[in-house]
Amino acid sequence: MKPEKRKQLFLIGIFLAILLAEGVTHTTMDLMKNQRPVAADLFLQVPSQENLRNYEENLEEGSWLVQNLRPVMQVLRFAVLGDLGKKAVAGREGWLFYDLGIQYLTERSQPVRPGESTPDEVVEAIVSFRDRLAERGIHLLVVPAPGKASVYPEMLTARALNLDHPVNVRTLQLLEQLENEAIELVNLFDLYQSEKNKDSISGPNNLYLIQDTHWSPKGMEMAAEKVANRLQELGWVEKGNTDYGLKEVPLSRHGDVIRMTQIPGIDDWYEPETIQASQVVRKESGEIYADDPHSEILVLGDSFLRIYEHDEPGSGGFVAHLARDLGKPLTSIINDGGASTLVRQELYRKPEMLAGKKVVIWEFVERDIRFGTEGWQDVPLPDANQEI
Amino acid sequence: MGSLWLACSQEPNTGEDPEVTTRGSVEVTAQLVEIRGEFVNRADYDYAFVMKYKVLEVHRGKVDSDFIYVAHYNPEKPRDRVADERVSDVGGTLQKFHAGDIHRMALETPIDDYFMGGIINRYFEEYKGPIYWAVWTNPVSK
Repeated sequence: MKPEKRKQLFLIGIFLAILLAEGVTHTTMDLMKNQRPVAADLFLQVPSQENLRNYEENLEEGSWLVQNLRPVMQVLRFAVLGDLGKKAVAGREGWLFYDLGIQYLTERSQPVRPGESTPDEVVEAIVSFRDRLAERGIHLLVVPAPGKASVYPEMLTARALNLDHPVNVRTLQLLEQLENEAIELVNLFDLYQSEKNKDSISGPNNLYLIQDTHWSPKGMEMAAEKVANRLQELGWVEKGNTDYGLKEVPLSRHGDVIRMTQIPGIDDWYEPETIQASQVVRKESGEIYADDPHSEILVLGDSFLRIYEHDEPGSGGFVAHLARDLGKPLTSIINDGGASTLVRQELYRKPEMLAGKKVVIWEFVERDIRFGTEGWQDVPLPDANQEI
Repeated sequence: MGSLWLACSQEPNTGEDPEVTTRGSVEVTAQLVEIRGEFVNRADYDYAFVMKYKVLEVHRGKVDSDFIYVAHYNPEKPRDRVADERVSDVGGTLQKFHAGDIHRMALETPIDDYFMGGIINRYFEEYKGPIYWAVWTNPVSK
């Protein structure tokens, strides 16, 4: 055989080996798991558009090579280019932002993907919930939690340093729409803006965590205090006589934006953020705060309520601090990422949570106005007869 | 073609293993009738997704209906990699959910006693009965 021919056969062999490597490893791995090889789907299913698309997805997602190469590529892209992937955006001075929060602020106003909501749908759902509660003599207080990029756009990009207008015009328009519908709400955007004006842009008194999507203990405590004051101004709640105190708990944690990148070993590249949180404790016994299902106040919300409350240090989040400000324990349903619809569906499944309630506080993060999981559905209240 | 031959020459898989036969309070073999809509693709979100099943055989426990609604944790992940810090007690050998496939599952109910988090239930308006929590899910040969 001529050397030239041998070279060509060698190259053809390499080429075929590359083509077959994936199929052979995939089939071997499937058989080792005692499963039907994905490649068999090609012959066992009707070659419809849907089946072929599923086949392609299965091949990619189940690929041993892809699963093992992807993390390596992620680390390389991060190490060489500083690329955090699709879900996270690096801002200034080590600040990290969640991509969806930025999309909410920057994309055009009309929803562009299935499952996204319009402001009108949000207003309809809130008005309907308010009206359903009112029929049972229960007040509703709405508390939109500002997104981090709305409060700190200048930490995302220096171009926002001297902005003379808010970046979240759509949210402010929605708040106006809600006010026109006589929805009682707490405007944390104004509160945070005025607090920021008193302070330097970024420092120990930040209202949001640097590596996380959520508010800092300071931002959270300010929100709880404002809500407590509003409830008393409205005359919906009288201050109770449970005496709560605070127990300082220093925390050191990596933020959720770092976790979202799913880059292996990324924790080692970032120093954990040091946070001074405080647990709410009963002064007389030192017992840490616990919800009381018989409370007249029910708090619904998402991970903005979970942080410090269910996460470390525990009993140090919005609900506990609101209880301290009101001098009485509360009831809460916290549904991570599900404040637009899922938390009300959960309330529907738990009728006892509504028994004896006079006030419902409903917190949701700003980006959920558009990206709320399962949109903003009209959810009925649980049957009143099942409440007890 | 080799894959096809290998697939055909395999022993039928009943889905039985020491995990599915001992975990949970209910164990069934059921056909996945429908996956309603798309899964949620969000990095910040761990959730359970409700799917509709037709019960083919009840191995343990009591099931009152021919159709059951089962919530699977983070359904886009293979079952052998789905357990995490938040939900550690789930698993199985199923790699991917396809309508029409048959699964052997260890279940618990009611879901709220076992899972605290977002439950995507697209049957909410039409079905108000119990939702099962999938503890272990294995594929079964048709």
